[in-house]
Amino acid sequence: MSGDNMERGGVKPLFVKIPGSDLPTQIETRFKVTVVGVGNVGMACAQTCLTEDLVDELALVDIQADKLRGEMLDLQHAAAFLPRVKIVADTDYAISAGSDICIVTAGARQREGESRPSLLGRNLTLFKSIIPQLVHYSPNAILLIVSNPVDILTYVSWKLSGFPPNRVIGTGTNLDSSRLRFLIADKFDVNAHNVHGYMVGEHGDSSVPLWSTLTLANVPVLNVRDKNGVSYSKESLQELHRTVVESAYEVIKLKGYTSWAIGYSTASLVKSLLRDQRRIYPVSVRAKGFYGIENEVYLSLPSQLGRAGVLGVANVKMGEEEMQKLQQSAKTIWKLQSELEF
Amino acid sequence: MFTTIPGSDLPYHVKTSSKITVVGVGNVGMACAQTCVTEGLVDELALVDIQADKLRGEMLDLQHAAAFLPRVNIMADSDYAVSEGSDICIVTAGARQREGESRLSLLGRNLSLFKSIIPQLVRYSPDTILLIVSNPVDILTYLSWKISGFPPNRVIGTGTNLDSSRLRFLIADKFDVNAHNVHGYMVGEHGDSSVPLWSTLTIANMPVLSICDKDGVKYSRESLQELHKMVVGGAYEVIKLKGYTSWAIGYSTASLVKSLLRDQRRIHPVSVLAKGFYGIDKDVYLSLPSQLGRAGVLGVASVQMIEEERRKLHESSETIWDIQNQLQI
Repeated sequence: MSGDNMERGGVKPLFVKIPGSDLPTQIETRFKVTVVGVGNVGMACAQTCLTEDLVDELALVDIQADKLRGEMLDLQHAAAFLPRVKIVADTDYAISAGSDICIVTAGARQREGESRPSLLGRNLTLFKSIIPQLVHYSPNAILLIVSNPVDILTYVSWKLSGFPPNRVIGTGTNLDSSRLRFLIADKFDVNAHNVHGYMVGEHGDSSVPLWSTLTLANVPVLNVRDKNGVSYSKESLQELHRTVVESAYEVIKLKGYTSWAIGYSTASLVKSLLRDQRRIYPVSVRAKGFYGIENEVYLSLPSQLGRAGVLGVANVKMGEEEMQKLQQSAKTIWKLQSELEF
Repeated sequence: MFTTIPGSDLPYHVKTSSKITVVGVGNVGMACAQTCVTEGLVDELALVDIQADKLRGEMLDLQHAAAFLPRVNIMADSDYAVSEGSDICIVTAGARQREGESRLSLLGRNLSLFKSIIPQLVRYSPDTILLIVSNPVDILTYLSWKISGFPPNRVIGTGTNLDSSRLRFLIADKFDVNAHNVHGYMVGEHGDSSVPLWSTLTIANMPVLSICDKDGVKYSRESLQELHKMVVGGAYEVIKLKGYTSWAIGYSTASLVKSLLRDQRRIHPVSVLAKGFYGIDKDVYLSLPSQLGRAGVLGVASVQMIEEERRKLHESSETIWDIQNQLQI
């Protein structure tokens, strides 16, 4: 049957192109995310992005070749349960080429009782080898830094990359704010989605909960009573803040590390960025010039995120005390940063 | 904060619509739990394990994600009372395969463990569906059935659901199509003697044995054996590289949970009581294409098998039966 497209010499191809079609050999993937570091945090970020259907291509990079390949295969094996997504992995950064977002989770993690700044020395050298490679292969990417201490490492990434500051972001206090909202929602027996408020500043011990603008069902938290009729003073809320700051340490002490929550937190940022959602998140951004901050530091401020990265910092009303604490947080970070050799 | 509308009749306790318990908070258990949560399948999740610290840590880590998830009640305890009223109990507890170790050799180590787990789950959720993941899954699901006294439709093993998924992925990759358009089952033992049903495996509804892949390669049953070996070896490979498997089995289990809880009536190759089907005369659990809904296994599909496939399925059941006998289950 010479005129038939469907058979050639008895060998039946699965699909036959419509004559006259113009099919490109290479289709550019719409959303590509690279995750550097396939430890618990990196894999939680990667897997959550996959489950939430945020990416068409996922690249994993790490120095441990076996672990890397194992993680890639384990995700690929789930193919029939996921939309078609290309999952690749290599120790060579060439695999990350053309990424829209590069998530960096690599580095030493906090040991039990270790404070985030003490991780710093161990992670600085590592970033000097990671960031230039990501930049080389994805000059237009957004860098999303997770590794701790996240504020300083995001600053480091910004300096090393030469990127404009809107394209270098740290996950910052996005998770802290989530934890705070959970604790308050729990006390008031409401959904955490109806608690609105931010923790800003350092992702760490000197973070600043903005009590004055924290609301439940749009009512200021300082004006409401919980389900037991308890009204909250700033002092009792301080207890909640301490719980939030401690909560990462608590999880680390109990299970050795944290992974799930930071995975969800990161995926929510990826979604806002890739899908140009223009939502506001407390994330680590270049803070100089905002809220009276004079130091060249990265720290968390409520920021609008879209496809171009940080579109802007929100002008939230802060009380005098909150501003002071924020500036203090900036100084804490600045002090540690200035001891770095760059 | 809130004022009730006068005349309201608000019950103190509202029955939660969907509750699942996951026993074992290792990598597999947590992947199952987290995927079920991310996919919005549950209103209440209970975690049970003997390691109290690890258990609490995992519970907190999930709770901390509350603002990113729909409201879900997450709790954990080493006391099985926390599992009360579960619609599905997923059991992942037990020793896992060491590098190079076959699933069957895990058996001895897991036998006594299940004798302590299953009666407790039954006690606190007498109407639940037991979904067994621990390996060797077929024998442990059989054991769970015996211990629980449940009707067989309420005791299921994840079986070859994941193997079939892996096979479909490999074939889809060769033919450059989406794995969702590859339909076919691996049945029998979740392990070395699993049986791929090549004769009914289709791509875009065309038998795989009658078409060529993107490179023009036509496949015979013999050449496809290589793919089967890759599937069987797939788990061992991942274990060798990263120490364990977690993500794929997590997605696989979540897909079963969805079919069960949401009464989807989808067909999955899962480990069921196989006696009487396809000429199997042994009292064993092994994977057959089964329809899953809210009541559990609604029925086993009557898939066309050629003689060779049927024979291999019987061999698979013999393999399982032998081991079961040796351990006097």
